[in-house]
Amino acid sequence: MNMNYVRPRDLAEAFAFLAENGRDTTIIAGGTDVMVDLRSGELDTRFLLDISRLDELKGIRLEGENLVVGATTTLSDIYHSELLTQYAPALQKSAYNFASTQIRNVATIGGNVAHCSPCGDTVPPLVIHETKVVFSGKKGERRIPIEEVATGPYRCFLEKDEIITAFILKPVEADFADFQKIGRRKDLAISRLSMAVMVDRDSDGIISSMKFSLGACTPTPHRMTAVEEFMTGKKVTCELLFEGGKLLAEKMIEITGRRPSIIYKEPAVQGLFVRMLYPVV
Amino acid sequence: MNQNTVQIEFTINGKKVTTNIPSHVTALHVIREIMGLKGSKEGCGIGECGACTIQVDDKAVNSCLMLGAQLHNRDVMTIEGLSKEKKLHPLQEKFIENHAVQCGFCTPGLLMSTHAFLKENENPDRQEITRAIAGNLCRCTGYQQIITSIEAALQDESCRGGE
Ligand SMILES: Cc1cc2nc3c(=O)[nH]c(=O)nc-3n(C[C@H](O)[C@H](O)[C@H](O)COP(=O)(O)OP(=O)(O)OC[C@H]3O[C@@H](n4cnc5c(N)ncnc54)[C@H](O)[C@@H]3O)c2cc1C
Ligand code: FES
Ligand code: FES
Repeated sequence: MNMNYVRPRDLAEAFAFLAENGRDTTIIAGGTDVMVDLRSGELDTRFLLDISRLDELKGIRLEGENLVVGATTTLSDIYHSELLTQYAPALQKSAYNFASTQIRNVATIGGNVAHCSPCGDTVPPLVIHETKVVFSGKKGERRIPIEEVATGPYRCFLEKDEIITAFILKPVEADFADFQKIGRRKDLAISRLSMAVMVDRDSDGIISSMKFSLGACTPTPHRMTAVEEFMTGKKVTCELLFEGGKLLAEKMIEITGRRPSIIYKEPAVQGLFVRMLYPVV
Repeated sequence: MNQNTVQIEFTINGKKVTTNIPSHVTALHVIREIMGLKGSKEGCGIGECGACTIQVDDKAVNSCLMLGAQLHNRDVMTIEGLSKEKKLHPLQEKFIENHAVQCGFCTPGLLMSTHAFLKENENPDRQEITRAIAGNLCRCTGYQQIITSIEAALQDESCRGGE
C-alpha cells in the first residue's frame, strides 16, 4: 500500500497541506470510520492527514451567545462535559449509547458529521440546536447549517481543501431534552432510527416551544417543523403524543417515499416518539 | 511495492521505544508484529469485539482501529504491562478466582478495559460495569463471571494499582 502519513504541527500547516494536496488526501481524526474503510479496501488514499492532535480543534466552550464544540472533541469528552449537561443535554445523551467505551474514547464529533452517514448519532441533536458547522481552509472559513452538510448518504458538502474546525450551537436550557435511537442491538448499535427533542412548557404544562429532529431513517437529517408546530401551544397528554407520532410518521414517508422497510419503520417512529416524550406527560 | 514508513517514538509498558513502521499499519500490528507482544488479540479487526483493547494515555481504545502512526508520543499499556516480575496482577487473580476465563481469547482486552475503568470509577454499580465492558465480547462465559470478578476487584484496593 502506497500511503503517506502526515502529522501537521498546527492548523495553518494542515490548511497549507490541503491547499496543495487536498485531492489526494483523506483526513483522519479518531479513525473509527477511516480505519474500517481502509481495511475493507473501500478507501485508498495517497495521504492520511492526522488532525487528532491539533489543539486548536479541541474543547467545548461558551463564546458570547454561542456554545462552541471543537471538531476533534471526542464522544467521551461530550459525555463528560458539564457545559453540555446544562446547555445541550440531547447532544450529551447521544454520546451515552454511542458504540463502546473504546470507540467513544477516540471517535470525534467532527468525524461523525463529516462521514455523512445517515446514522450519525450526533447529528439530530446538532440539528435541534440550529448548529452552524465551521468549514475552514487556507482561503478562509464559511459557516454551513448542519442540515446542509450532508448532500446525501456519505456525501459531504466539504471541499477537498477544507477541514471542519468547530460546531456553533445555540445553547438552550430546556425543561426536557432527550435523544433516542433504535439499532440492531443495544451496544455498538448503528442507529436504524434516531431522534432528538427539546421541550419547554409554561406553568400550566402547555408546550411553549419544541424543537425536534429525526435521523437515520431519512437520507439526510431533518428538523420536523410540522410536528413542532402541531405540538406547540397544547397540553401534553398521551393522546397528543400518539397524534404527534402519527404526524411524524406521515412526514417521514413524505421524505423517503414508501419503501419496504416502512412496515417496520412507521410504527417504530411513532412508538419511539411516544416513548421519548412520555416523561413530559 | 514501495512501502512508506514513518518514525514513531512512544512508551510501551513503561519502556521508551523509537521505531520505523509502515505508514498504513494499525497500532495492533505494531504491538503484535513489530513489538512482538502477542497478548493483544485480533478478533474482528473492525472495532466490534474488543479483543485488541489496549490503553493509550490511560484510556481503553481498540488498537485495531488506531493507526500505528498515531501512537507517536503516547503512553501505551498492553496486557503485558499489567503483571510485574512474572507475578499476576491482583485484577488477573480476581478473574481466575471467579472463573471469568475460559478460552481466554477475550481476557487481555477485558482486563485492559476493566483496569482503565477502575482508575476512573470509585464506586460503580452493576449497570455501569456492564456498560464499561460493552465493547468486549466474550463467547464463552456469558459475562456474569466477568462482572462478578470486577465487583470483587472493587473491594480490593490493590486491583486499581499497577503501571
Ligand atoms: C464498532 C463501531 C460502532 C459504531 N457505533 C456508532 C454509533 O453508535 N453511532 C454513530 O453515530 N457512529 C458509530 N460508529 C461510527 C464512527 O465511530 C463515528 O462516525 C465517529 O464519530 C467517527 O469519528 P472519527 O473521529 O473516528 O472519524 P474518522 O474515522 O477519523 O473520520 C471519518 C470521516 O470524516 C472525515 N473527517 C474526520 N474529521 C474531519 C474534520 N474535522 N473535517 C473534515 N473531515 C473530517 C474523515 O476524512 C473521514 O471521511 C461506529 C463505528 C464502529 C467501528
Ligand atoms: S479486533 Fe479490535 S475490536 Fe475486534
Ligand atoms: S473466555 Fe472465551 S471468549 Fe471470553
